[in-house]
Amino acid sequence: MTHRRFGESEGSTLARPNTQVAPDARPGVSDHRLGPALSLVRQGLSVGREFGMHSLEALLWVAETVEESVYVPRSLVRNAEGLSFMLANPPLRVGAFSSLRFWVDRVEVPSARVRLGTGSPRAWRTAAEISGAAPLELRPGEPTEVALDQVSTGVEREVTVRLELQSVAIPPLVWFEFTEAPRTEASP
Amino acid sequence: MNLSAASPSGPPPNVPVLLTSLASAVLLDGRGDLELPRETRGALIDWGGVYGQLIRLSGPWRLSLATESGATALSDCLTGVEKAPGRWRSRHRLGRFDVIQDIVAVPSPSGAIRTLSASIPEGPPASLLVVSTFAPYLLPVLVEGIRPTAFHVEASSRGLTVRQRGFALDYRSSVTPSRMFLNRAAWGGGRFQGPVEQVASHHELTVVPGRPATISFLLSGGLERDLGPSNVADAVLSDPNAAARAIDAADRTWEQGTPILRFPNAPGLERAYGFARAALRRLYTSPGEGLTGLVAGYPWYSSIWCRDLAWMLPATLWLGDFDWVARSLASVFRFQLHAEVPLLGGEPGELPMQISPGPIFLYGTSDTTLYYPGLVAQYLRHSGNRETAAQWSAVIERILGWGQARTDAVTGLLRHGGEAEEIATATGQLTRVRYGIDSPDTTIWDSVNRREHAIDVQVLWRQALLAAAELHEGGASASPGRDWVQAADRIARSVRELYPWSEEGYLYDSLRSGAPVARVRPNALRTVTSGILDPDLSHALVLRAAKEDLTTPWGVRTLSAKDPGYDPQSYHDGEVWTIATAWAAEAALAVGEVELGLRYLRTIGERMDLEGGWANECYRGDRPEAFDSCFLLGFSVAPFLTTLFERLWGLSVDARVPRLEVDPSFPSDWDSSSLEQLRIGSGVAALDWTPVRMRISWSGPDPLQVRMRGSQAVVAPGGSVDLPVNVPTR
Repeated sequence: MTHRRFGESEGSTLARPNTQVAPDARPGVSDHRLGPALSLVRQGLSVGREFGMHSLEALLWVAETVEESVYVPRSLVRNAEGLSFMLANPPLRVGAFSSLRFWVDRVEVPSARVRLGTGSPRAWRTAAEISGAAPLELRPGEPTEVALDQVSTGVEREVTVRLELQSVAIPPLVWFEFTEAPRTEASP
Repeated sequence: MNLSAASPSGPPPNVPVLLTSLASAVLLDGRGDLELPRETRGALIDWGGVYGQLIRLSGPWRLSLATESGATALSDCLTGVEKAPGRWRSRHRLGRFDVIQDIVAVPSPSGAIRTLSASIPEGPPASLLVVSTFAPYLLPVLVEGIRPTAFHVEASSRGLTVRQRGFALDYRSSVTPSRMFLNRAAWGGGRFQGPVEQVASHHELTVVPGRPATISFLLSGGLERDLGPSNVADAVLSDPNAAARAIDAADRTWEQGTPILRFPNAPGLERAYGFARAALRRLYTSPGEGLTGLVAGYPWYSSIWCRDLAWMLPATLWLGDFDWVARSLASVFRFQLHAEVPLLGGEPGELPMQISPGPIFLYGTSDTTLYYPGLVAQYLRHSGNRETAAQWSAVIERILGWGQARTDAVTGLLRHGGEAEEIATATGQLTRVRYGIDSPDTTIWDSVNRREHAIDVQVLWRQALLAAAELHEGGASASPGRDWVQAADRIARSVRELYPWSEEGYLYDSLRSGAPVARVRPNALRTVTSGILDPDLSHALVLRAAKEDLTTPWGVRTLSAKDPGYDPQSYHDGEVWTIATAWAAEAALAVGEVELGLRYLRTIGERMDLEGGWANECYRGDRPEAFDSCFLLGFSVAPFLTTLFERLWGLSVDARVPRLEVDPSFPSDWDSSSLEQLRIGSGVAALDWTPVRMRISWSGPDPLQVRMRGSQAVVAPGGSVDLPVNVPTR
C-alpha cells in the first residue's frame, strides 16, 4: 500500500532551493503572504463548516507536532566550525537512507563537510560516507545532531536550512526545511 | 476457555502477535513483552506497544520481575505461550515463582490490559516486585516516524495520565504503585511537563502458597476528549476476563455468519481461506466518532486508508457482512468534499485518502475516489438494500463530477498526477518549518511516477462510470446513465487504440504527453476482467505476465526485472506485492488458465502458512524475503478472498432478483468442492460441486434464480436443485 504519509505532496517544485521562501523573510504575515493566508482561512472555514471545528483542531495538533518534533526549535547554532542543529526525530520517514544532502540559503553544503551524530555515545559520520551499502538509520524519537562545517552566515540573519533524504526502500525524496536565525555559541 | 498445554516451543519464531478490539490493538513479538522489532524501510524499528483509536499510545511496554536474587525481564523467563480465546497468554518462571500473563485488547476504554498472576508451590510467603516501563507516543499512526518530544504528565489515584496536545493516555493498575519514575528519576506525583523518555512504576506483591497474587495494568487512550470516567476504566481493570470473553464471542459470531469453503483436493487453499478470513477480521475497526471501516494493515498502516478499504470491502461482502460494508461506505462518504481544499489536497467530489478519529482526514490520490461507485453497486447486488444505496446517489454524482473534471477531452481518459501539489503551495509560504515527500503521482503504486494515464486508473474510471449507470438503471440514482455508458465506451476504445504494446504482447503502463510509457507492470492485468480487451489479447497479457521477469515463485513483481529501473528492494519498482499476485490469479482464472491461476493462489496461501496466518505486504524482488513490509495488509488478504469467490467459484449475485450465477474454474483433477452460508440479500445459499453436477440449496424468502453456463433453474425457498456440469471445466 502504498501510501503517501502525512505531509507527502508534490510541492517539490515550489519548495526546491531555487524557488523557496526568500531567506530574508520575517515572521508574521507580510503583504506578499496575505493572499495565501486568506486562502488558508477560507479553506479552514470550509473544512470547519463541513466537518466541524474538531477536525480543524485535530489537523492542527498533528501539524504542530510534526513541526515541533523534527527540528528542535532554536537549536541552530553558529560556532567556530560552522553551523549545527539538532533533529529530535526523522523527517517524516523512518528507516535507512542512502543519501542526505543539505543546503543553507540555497547553497549546497559539500557532503564531506556535513557531519551527522547519532546514538549515545555519539557516533559521527560525514554525509559523504553514507551510501546504499552504508545507509544512515533513523528511528522515531532518536535524535540526530547535524554539523555543517565551514558554513558562514551573516550575524543575526535568518537562514533557511534544507535537508533532502533518500530512503533505500521508497524512491520519492523526503525534504524538510526550516528558517531561523542561528544563535552564536559562546567560545569555550 | 480451551487452552493448549503450556509448551516452551510456542508458535513459529518471528511471527508477530496482533491482538485487536474494534477500537484498539496490541502488538508484540510473542516473547512476553510488548516489543516488536521489525525491519522497516531498511532499518530495525520497534513497533511494539498499545494503539487506541488508531493513535499509537505507547512504545514498547516492558514488565520485569524482581526478587531477592535480582530482576529479570518477563521475556527472559518465558516458558511457554498459548493462544487463548480473546487474549494471548504467556507463562514465565523465575525462581520459586510461576507467573501467567494474559494480554487483552479492550475497546472501551480503547487500549490493553495485562494481567500477571504469580504463584509459588510451597514454603513461606514471598515478595515479588513488578516493574512496568513504557514510553508514551501519542500521535496518530499516519505520522510514520515521529515520537513527540514533550508531554504533560499528571498523577492519578491509580497511576497517571499523559497528554500531548489533544491526545492522551491513561495508565493505571489494580495494585497501587509503590514508586513512580519519570525519565528514570523518582517522581512523587503531581504534574510534569517536558520530554518523557520513560514512565516506570513499581508494584509490590506478596505471594502465599495456594493463593496466587494478581496485578492488572490498563493502558488506554486516544483522543483526550474521549477519555472516559475513571470508574469505567476501573471496572474494566477489575474484570479483564469480561473483555476477553466479549471479543471472543464477537469473533465467533462473526465467523459463524461467514461462508464455509471446502476444497478437498486443495487443503492448503482451504486453510489459506481460513487464515485470510481470520486476518481480515483482525482489521475491523470502529475507533470512535462514528467511524467504521477496516484498518489498512499492521504495524505502520494502522489507520483507515480509503483505497485499502476499497480493496477490502468486496471480500467483506462475499463474507456476508453487509452491515459493516454499509457503515464503512457511510464513513468514507461523510468526508466527501463539496469545495476545493488545497490545504488537504482535496477537490470537490473527492473522497479521502485517509480518515481517523479527530477527525483527521487527507485527500490527494488519483484512484481512491474511483473505487466507490463500483462498491455501492456491488453492495446493492449483494444486499439488495435499495434504500441504503439510494441515499448515496448524490455522492456518486459528485464522484463522477470529480472524474469528469479530470477527463481528457479527446481520449476520454482520466488524467492524474499533481493531486496534492497545492498542499505545499497553500502552507509553504506561511510556516517557518516546511516538509514533504516528492511523491510525483498518487496511483496505487504511489512512490513512482505513472502519470498521466496509468492503465489501471482508466479501468477504474470506466468501472465507476458503468457502476453509476447500473445504479441509475436500478433506480438508485436520478442522473442519466446513458452519458456515463458512452463515456465508459470511449475509455474502452481509447485503451484498445492506445495501449497495446505489440512487441511485448502486453499493454503500456501509461501514456505521458501522448507517448506510451513502455514498462511491464502487473497493473495491465486489471484490464483482463474489465471487458475492454478482446479475449485473445487478454489471454496474451496473462501469459506475458507469467514470464519470470514479472512472476517469481513467491509472487508478482511491481515492475519487470528486465526494466532498466528495476530495483529488487524498491517499493514499487521491483518488490513483489501480494496484491499483484492476486491480480494475476484473477486474470489467469478469467481467461481459463486454471492451473496458472491456482498456482498464484497457492503462492499466496503458502506465504500465509509460512507467516503464521498473516499476509505480508511485499517482498524483495530477488528473493522471498519480506522487505519494508507490514506483516499484515488487508490489501494482501482481501483480493485473495475475493478471487476465491469471484473467479475460482465464478460467482456473481444479484439480491434484488434474487439471482446467483456460478461458473467455477476448478482444475480437471478435482472431484469435489463446496461452499456453505453464502449470503444473498436476506437468504443463504449453499453450493456443492462434483464434476457431474452442481447442487444449489437456498433458504431465502423468495425463489432464487440460478444460472450455470448453459443451464438455469429456480430454487424454491427451502429447496435445492441439481444442475448438470455439462460443459467441461475450463
